[in-house]
Amino acid sequence: MNSNILKSIFGVVVLVALVAACDQRSRFDWTEAEREVLKSLWLESLPELPPDPSNAVADNPDAAAFGRQLFFDPRLSANGGISCATCHQAERRFTDGLQKAQAIGITARHTPSIVGAAYSPWQFWDGRRDSQWAQALAPLEDPNEHAFDRVQVVDLVLDDDGYRQNYEALFGALRDSILNDAIFLNTAFANIGKSIAAFERTIMPTTSRFDEFVAAVLGDDVDRQRELFSDDDVRGLRLFIGDANCTQCHNGPLFTNHEFHNTGIISFPGDVPDTARAAGIKEVLTNDFNCRRAYSDDPARRCDELEFARTGKDLIGAFKTPSLRNLENTAPFMHKGQLPTIAAVLQHYNEAPDAMIGHNEAKPLRLSRRELARIEAFLLTLAASISQGQFDNM
Amino acid sequence: MIVHRINFYCLLFCFLIASLPQNAVAHGGVVEEDDLCVIKVNYLSAHFKIYQPGVAEHTQYCEDLPVAAESVFVMEYQHQLLSKMLVDFRIIRDVTGKGRFARIADVNAIDDIDSATVYYQPPAIEPDVYLVNYEFEEEGDFIGIVSATHPVTGRIYAAVFPFEVGFTGLGYWPFFIGMLVLIQLQFLFMSGRLKAWFGRGAVTGLSFALLLLLVSPTSFAEEVLVTYSSPDGLPVINRMHSWILHIASDSGVGLEGAIIDVEGGMPAHDHGLPTKPRVTEDLGGGDYKLEGMRFHMSGYWEIVVAVTTEEGTSTAIISLQL
Repeated sequence: MNSNILKSIFGVVVLVALVAACDQRSRFDWTEAEREVLKSLWLESLPELPPDPSNAVADNPDAAAFGRQLFFDPRLSANGGISCATCHQAERRFTDGLQKAQAIGITARHTPSIVGAAYSPWQFWDGRRDSQWAQALAPLEDPNEHAFDRVQVVDLVLDDDGYRQNYEALFGALRDSILNDAIFLNTAFANIGKSIAAFERTIMPTTSRFDEFVAAVLGDDVDRQRELFSDDDVRGLRLFIGDANCTQCHNGPLFTNHEFHNTGIISFPGDVPDTARAAGIKEVLTNDFNCRRAYSDDPARRCDELEFARTGKDLIGAFKTPSLRNLENTAPFMHKGQLPTIAAVLQHYNEAPDAMIGHNEAKPLRLSRRELARIEAFLLTLAASISQGQFDNM
Repeated sequence: MIVHRINFYCLLFCFLIASLPQNAVAHGGVVEEDDLCVIKVNYLSAHFKIYQPGVAEHTQYCEDLPVAAESVFVMEYQHQLLSKMLVDFRIIRDVTGKGRFARIADVNAIDDIDSATVYYQPPAIEPDVYLVNYEFEEEGDFIGIVSATHPVTGRIYAAVFPFEVGFTGLGYWPFFIGMLVLIQLQFLFMSGRLKAWFGRGAVTGLSFALLLLLVSPTSFAEEVLVTYSSPDGLPVINRMHSWILHIASDSGVGLEGAIIDVEGGMPAHDHGLPTKPRVTEDLGGGDYKLEGMRFHMSGYWEIVVAVTTEEGTSTAIISLQL
């Protein structure tokens, strides 16, 4: 009798130990489908940067060097104190740590990162520009950002000998009379944007701990996996690609589908809710610097993105999915920085409240606090150093 | 038996009261339909809701607001005409003395509306959604006035909704009356009087009509067979690509010269495709080139292909798991 009880207890103990061992092993054991998903998120899977036929100097190193100078030049502003880098700070992954950006005034939205932005067919939170060069022009003339205008911008390039040389080597002679002719002026203004874009195209994400982990998974190196990822990191990753549905939007090596979704973020104090893409698509379709207009360098003017762009009420309150690489040092989050921490963002998706305008596409996740903490741990494995230290202020 | 039933209703009533949202009461120009508040500007209607994001986050209110705080008024048009109209929005202190029974005539009778106005948003055409943000400084009775100007006739349509800021939430009496009516109906039904009044035929007829409505088929036109192939390789997410649609009659003959409309989306997420794809070329033999396809999420997608020929329109649904 007594020995029977002992046997049973022993049996249970062995069973528990076995289950625990299996669990331990399975955590680093990936199915073929999971390996595929991990590979799709791997930085090594990032395709070559697609060409930008609307920008003839997009991949010209001289244009990138000129654009880099412009990017850091505070003279391109009404008070001589605001450059692109004022808000896009390299050490903060090209964001600024504020809810809404602060330049000459306070802007309408939160500064988005520009790391890997060249891969996106749409720029800005609401996609109101369809190229990086057209995007670069808008803040220069925004009264709350640089508060400059195109005449002042082109004038500055004309007056600065170095800039003028750079410009003329790339785009041909600049005449002083250019300022009086709208088409010449706009062309020169667009060329300046194209140079800034050539620089921005070089700002790319770098290898993170997650990418090394995926290499270990694909190389079947369990020891290396254990070295790189804690228990929470792996469980968080499993949730990320599984029950938390994150990869429905945050997919691909940049962890974004570059598309627009309403996820029911609360309005910013004092502001009406932001209609976002519903207004953004209208603006890009009529913008003078869009892919179809005369300032595009593509003689074919093939503009599939504009051609097949969706409009309508589905897009009310829909914002572009941001990348999840390099979240470190980039708080607060969301289009007006409404959510202060990654934990707050995850809590928001866990509840998925009704949207104030339009409708929230996300459904409540109903994950435990512990599970959310694990997803956060995983997200931080996407931290990485900025590339080659080439973005130091000049 | 009777005691039992009363107990059941008491329980049900208590349960419903407990589960009621704070915004169950609506009056004036705003009415509640299917869990949504609707404002009627003459015959033009819009979904209407108010938020106090600073104090109550995503909680929706129909009219009465719990505290004096920043308040966001949202009107989502149901009638497209509203999106072309100049709409203005005014909030006044209730100087009519009519409280929640104030109507347009009472507002029109106010001599100096400007001095009663606490907030005015000048006329603007808002194509998507009409939004107002106002921070109430004090509690009290207010009246909201929405005016919309007809783009052609110039006629002004208006809606008036009285509301209270600092609402205590003690207003469930209409619900209570509704419950009493239900109990009475239940009694009439159980006692057979309902049948006696309207006759068995009427009840049967009503059931039959409902059944017809439920089973009526959605497509009477001839069925079409729609298949697709993708010359750029199998559909993958986040890449714009084109399809070749093959449209055939149910006897397998390719249909040429059809007009084809393509819509699609993810039923689980209530959203459509990220692009607006369209047929750009009739390739002959029932083949059509469909350009501008892109999927932006993994998961289950449905593509609805509407094929219009001289016979009529048929639709086919293509399901995809990405």
